Amino acid sequence: MSSIFLEKNYFLFYRVLLFKHIDYDLPISSRVALGVSGDVMVDQLPNLGREKEMLEAMGMKEIADLFSDLPKEVVMDQELPLPAPQSEEEILHDARRLLGGNVPLEQRTSFLGAGLYQNFVPSAIFQLITRGEFLTSYTPYQPEVSQGMLQSMWEFQTLISELVELPIANLSMYDGSTAAAEALTTAVRVLNRKAEQKDTVYVSRLVPPDRMSVIYNYTQGAEIKIEYIEHNQDGSINMDSLEKARGSCGIYVEYPNALGIIDEGMKQVKEIIGDVTAFIIGATPLALGLIEAPGKFGADIVVGEGQAFGSPITGGGPIYGFFAVTKPFLRQMPGRIVGKSIDVDGNEAFCLTLSTREQHIRRQRATSNICSNETLIALMGAMHMALLGPEGLEKLAYRNLAAMQMLKDKLSAVENISIPHGDSFHFNEFVIELPKSASSCITELDEFGVIAGMDMAAWGLNENWLLVTCTDQTTEVDIEEFVDILSAWANDELEVLQ
Amino acid sequence: MSHLFEFNGAEGKGYSQPSPIMDVSKLKLPGSMRRESLPRWPRVSEPEMVRHYTWLSKRNFGIDTGFYPLGSCTMKHNPRVNEAIAQMPGIANIHPHQPESHLQGLLSIYHEMQEMLAICAGMDAVTLQPVAGAQGEFTAIRCFQEYFRKTGQTQRTKVIVPDSAHGTNPASASMCGFEIIEIPSSADGRLDLDALRAVVGEDTAAMMITNPNTLGIFEADVVEASQIIHDAGGLMYYDGANFNAILGWTNPGLMGFDAVHYNLHKTFSQPHGGGGPGSGPIGVKAHLAEFLPSPIVGKREIESEDEHLYAVDDCWYTWQTPESTIGKVQQWHGNAGAVVRCWAYYRRYGRDLKTMSEHAVLNANYLRHAILTKAEEAGVTHMFVEGAPINVCKHEFTISMSPAKESMGISAMDVAKGLLDMGYMAPTVYFPQIVPECLMIEPTETESKETLDEFATNFIKVLQTDAEALHESPTTTPVRRVDEVYAARNLILRYEMD
Repeated sequence: MSSIFLEKNYFLFYRVLLFKHIDYDLPISSRVALGVSGDVMVDQLPNLGREKEMLEAMGMKEIADLFSDLPKEVVMDQELPLPAPQSEEEILHDARRLLGGNVPLEQRTSFLGAGLYQNFVPSAIFQLITRGEFLTSYTPYQPEVSQGMLQSMWEFQTLISELVELPIANLSMYDGSTAAAEALTTAVRVLNRKAEQKDTVYVSRLVPPDRMSVIYNYTQGAEIKIEYIEHNQDGSINMDSLEKARGSCGIYVEYPNALGIIDEGMKQVKEIIGDVTAFIIGATPLALGLIEAPGKFGADIVVGEGQAFGSPITGGGPIYGFFAVTKPFLRQMPGRIVGKSIDVDGNEAFCLTLSTREQHIRRQRATSNICSNETLIALMGAMHMALLGPEGLEKLAYRNLAAMQMLKDKLSAVENISIPHGDSFHFNEFVIELPKSASSCITELDEFGVIAGMDMAAWGLNENWLLVTCTDQTTEVDIEEFVDILSAWANDELEVLQ
Repeated sequence: MSHLFEFNGAEGKGYSQPSPIMDVSKLKLPGSMRRESLPRWPRVSEPEMVRHYTWLSKRNFGIDTGFYPLGSCTMKHNPRVNEAIAQMPGIANIHPHQPESHLQGLLSIYHEMQEMLAICAGMDAVTLQPVAGAQGEFTAIRCFQEYFRKTGQTQRTKVIVPDSAHGTNPASASMCGFEIIEIPSSADGRLDLDALRAVVGEDTAAMMITNPNTLGIFEADVVEASQIIHDAGGLMYYDGANFNAILGWTNPGLMGFDAVHYNLHKTFSQPHGGGGPGSGPIGVKAHLAEFLPSPIVGKREIESEDEHLYAVDDCWYTWQTPESTIGKVQQWHGNAGAVVRCWAYYRRYGRDLKTMSEHAVLNANYLRHAILTKAEEAGVTHMFVEGAPINVCKHEFTISMSPAKESMGISAMDVAKGLLDMGYMAPTVYFPQIVPECLMIEPTETESKETLDEFATNFIKVLQTDAEALHESPTTTPVRRVDEVYAARNLILRYEMD
């Protein structure tokens, strides 16, 4: 049992404990703050020290008069047991100490990806998104003074639409997992009436468990039944298993899949599942610089993690999901959509549209509860896509592919390491099979400054499987170092390196 | 040039990047899956791109641009040290699947935020995973659902919401599969306990309340409402959208709530970014802690030399899985970047978060009083301040333009657009729906007395404007009144290429 839930056993004393132990139980950093005078947030509150004047103007005497409407029984009888306020300098000091205690990827040679990728983000993007007009604006409900964000997001919709070759995209979802989950609920809403397998969707068995958990949480309320599509030994979709999905509301498969495999069978999928069943693809957007756009082979909905365009990994958030559809799904899709319109003078103008799908209008009958989304991060994505241009995208995809290919070629020659799906085509990442557990590999290579990859035991797969990832930031030197160390580890020669 | 897609430099340029580390002719891609034609993205140089987005930013209104009294959205100043911290490599370039030893700084901040948020809301356990307020609601209702399943109370299928609730409340509960029972507010805009008593029963799962409510009024009967729901075996959910009003004075725990979500992008100053990213942690009482999403940060003693090397505090932080967890609602660890910003924000105030709330309420009451006084002086009688005769509001208040509409043909929207011409962001309009022709005003604590006085004066000036002239507004904004019907009818959702 975890300690936070051990505390639960002392539930009755919990508040008391918090009050009592707060001074020594908060991190050391906050002890630094305890000596501070306590008035340093004056720089944040323009009316500090003018309370009396303002209260008197209203015929009041003290701040407590403003809270006279609180019933006595709910008024707290103690101050918040929190540390004293800190100045900007002290906060920066603590932030440097704490965040400096983390190990950022660039400090190591990293082959960890598994859905989030360490790509280069051009400097202009960081400068532009801190412009206060973007950073500190709200959802563009007043279009007359929000044209900047509205047009940016309309352009984002166009960039995504072009990338996946579907006509319509919204302006972001929380991440790739909620985008996938809401794609499935969208498909059921649109197609359930026609489907023979009512309330049923089929999901690729290779979707990682964390993403699958999100899908379950989002679909169980609508009583959607999830069946699985199996994969062959080489990682490709098993077409017999796919046959069973025919007549369901939709299928969700990933492209390339979570093991990095580009499945040549993707082009046959739509024919097998038929028109009534939605073909939903979770795409790695960067790969689409080289492999066919899903819209060209029958995809009805395309979703994915947009992070590789414009966003650092940031510990997994904020990033953004993208969500694109064909026309029949438009009115049932989640999220905000910008449309082009005109103003009263007939000039081009943009505004949010199709809001009647949304929670603030439709309430419990809305297509989704999403309100806040990831607009600013999608804006970073739009800027990156704009800077790349078509040929820049292709080159960036080649760079990612080339690094992966070099690693794959070199590892395929290493004794005691095999590549289970070695004959398949990959992008960004692939699985290697080790002579010992992947978790021991990760731990032992960590001592050499190498982040080896993702342990596939965490996904319920072979415990000797390690998913290794390369990006445009992986150099030849990184690869050579990794192959040397991994080879030594696999052949019990690590001590030679030490 | 006004459209991104009109930038069309020479073919084959693209953003400058290093060459792929392998000869691209040696790279392996399935011929059948090669992309036939690249996306028609623009070809834009960095100087053009920077100017394009700078131009767009100037067509957008943020808190940095001017007073932003958008009710329900808590548009407070976003301290810039938070942005500086969020760009540190120790948060920007970390991967959620790195070993715990690499993330001790992040885990320390998560742990401190969990404790801080629990203390502020009177809850026992907190998860930081939900990435938006609506997702927090969804997560908490999912926890309720599993609690009822585990305790054999699956007959509890109904969730009660007042008609003044945010649209996300019924939408979130509905997504979990609950039936929504909407109860009318009393004539003064508060909870109607008789209406509540009339609908509770053995099928009641929960009630969702915002307090202070969306009219900015503190629900004095909240404790009794909690009692009614608890007596019936249901659970109480606190929508934290208006938490900015009460910090340090009272908390949802004292009011009898079982769960609460926090809008870090409202109360704790995560910038709204034009619609996101947000962060919507939830706090729960002990009986619900076992259902929280996984993982949560716990801590223990340092156990090894290695751990000493990586530790940032005098303990070791670990990711922990709650016993009966609902799993994941976002694939990673939530919006870590937002959590870190809000950590920096809370450190600025510490135990004086109470002062922050006091100033939010002080400013709202002062502005309300100033508007009323100036209206009286100017002989403006055609507006109502909410339905109820109240002495004090909390952090926001509503004004009805109903009398103005009837007597002069001035609608809430007209006033909103008139305020845009005065250089302000408009208040929230037509919400809550129970107030006809509603304007909802929330100044926040970071506005000076002078700004509030000036706004009150200008607000009255708008009300004194000739109705004909007001229908023409805005005239000084980047575009004039936008035709939303045109947008919905024509659905131009992307740039059309020739």
